[in-house]
Amino acid sequence: MMAWYQGPQARRFAVALVVVVALLGVLPVIGIDAYIHNQLTLLFITIAGALAWNWMGGFVGQISFGHAAMFGIGAFVSARLMLSLHLPVPLCWLGGAVVAGVFALGAHPLLRLRGPYFSIATIGLGEASRLVFTFWEKFTGGSSGLSLPIDSIMKYQLYWYALILVGLVAITSVAIRKSSLGLKLLAIKADADAAADVGISATFYQDLIFVLSGAVMGLTGGMYASYQSFIEPNDMFGFDRAISFVLIAVIGGVGVSLGPVLGAVVFVLVKIYLLTSHPDLYLGLYGLLLILVVLFEPLGLTGLYRRIARLVGPKRPAVGQAK
Amino acid sequence: MTRLLTRNLTKRFGGLCAVDSVNLTLREGEILGLIGPNGAGKTTLFSMIAGSIQPTAGEILLDGHQVTGLPAHRCVRAGIVRTHQIVRPFGNLTVLENVVVAAIHAHRPGAGHARDRAGEALEMVGLGNKLDHYPSTLTLAGRKRLELARALATGPRVLLLDEVVAGVNPTEAVAFAALIRRIRDERGISVVMTEHVMPAIMSLSDRVFVVDRGKQIAEGTPQEVVANPAVVAAYLGTEAAAEAAS
Repeated sequence: MMAWYQGPQARRFAVALVVVVALLGVLPVIGIDAYIHNQLTLLFITIAGALAWNWMGGFVGQISFGHAAMFGIGAFVSARLMLSLHLPVPLCWLGGAVVAGVFALGAHPLLRLRGPYFSIATIGLGEASRLVFTFWEKFTGGSSGLSLPIDSIMKYQLYWYALILVGLVAITSVAIRKSSLGLKLLAIKADADAAADVGISATFYQDLIFVLSGAVMGLTGGMYASYQSFIEPNDMFGFDRAISFVLIAVIGGVGVSLGPVLGAVVFVLVKIYLLTSHPDLYLGLYGLLLILVVLFEPLGLTGLYRRIARLVGPKRPAVGQAK
Repeated sequence: MTRLLTRNLTKRFGGLCAVDSVNLTLREGEILGLIGPNGAGKTTLFSMIAGSIQPTAGEILLDGHQVTGLPAHRCVRAGIVRTHQIVRPFGNLTVLENVVVAAIHAHRPGAGHARDRAGEALEMVGLGNKLDHYPSTLTLAGRKRLELARALATGPRVLLLDEVVAGVNPTEAVAFAALIRRIRDERGISVVMTEHVMPAIMSLSDRVFVVDRGKQIAEGTPQEVVANPAVVAAYLGTEAAAEAAS
């Protein structure tokens, strides 16, 4: 088997990634208005979070409704590092990522559960962290939240930091999926016990992915906090937020390495459009989208794309990815 | 030389003693038939040796090393691998990928090596022309071959086969018997197999080990075992045993 970074497919991916990142990278220099600049920053952060969620939810098949916990921890730890220690901002994000990763490792007992039981337990994880951090006023400022010392230059530069993050997370997604690690994760997803019978420790790999995913979630949370420059536990740890990662991945294509990118673009576009015109409709529309996807196209937009590509394009063998 | 040894291996589920002080010896390059009536504890014994369940008491030695209580994935790396009575292929992976993923840990460095080992194993079981198929497109016999290839790819010293011939047609059964013999002859792997298909096990096994209600009741060559009154009693009842003795 070829290593993940070899072969024509990998080369195509590398070229596409470099082109897209370079284009997006020079976009602000050419000049786009501040609104689009900000929305793109937010989009990058959203994509990175959804991709990291997909490692656990898609590759391992453990649907987590508790990823907001790591997101919030990353946000508050990085905010605290800025406020109390006055460290450089990127260093604070990394600090948040490390703490979020360690926290994810602490969730180890949950990983004994599989399927719906795991999902239900993660709801508990998310809600418990929300409550703890809401009442831990010394650290999080409680319901009145924290203001971050982010100046306008940093906020402007955040665009590129988020772009770099999303690039790295996209590469990691493809690397995991195409490497032997990805194969092991698919085996665990199919049957954890049978995986153990061929020498794969489901416990170890689930821990590994949960920690990686949690750390990236923490990084994402830290950047998001810097973007908002004001954070509050009920929002950062909120169930809405936890659900949004699930939604994005499902709409884009669960288990497809870059599916959540598509999902996030649609999610953010819909949100921007509906929040300004029909704010009361937008959650309802997501619900509807979710039902449609689950009923008709379990691989989401990616599945739809493949179906169309098969109809119009040259005949390619069906790709039997991720059930 | 002794390859695998269990000493007083015991498993209790609450008040039920599923396996009771079993002392099993498997020699190097041997095919050992493990037989017994339904519920005798064959699969429980397998599961303990393969690390899927923890023994209540007793120990398991592989080439003189303790493997008692190791989790399943560690047992595989130590060299003990099992197949399941009900096949469990990874449905989301192709035939080749199913076996590659098993071969990864067999020889640590390089995925290229894993690919080769997987190819060899699939060639050996006769699935060399189905590499890109998904398991759902295979027949039951095909999926059993896949399960066997997956086990082989881990590079085992001891192979535990749980009813590998059961449920396939007679022609396939004969092919499987030949395959198991080849695995032993060409790879020097020691095999323990359970089976309800008596002709298969009697013709294949060098020795047969009989359990009934968790206890070992006989051990010996196939000819010795079928003549053993305790074995006849376990399978056909004490009346039949008395008749056979007279």
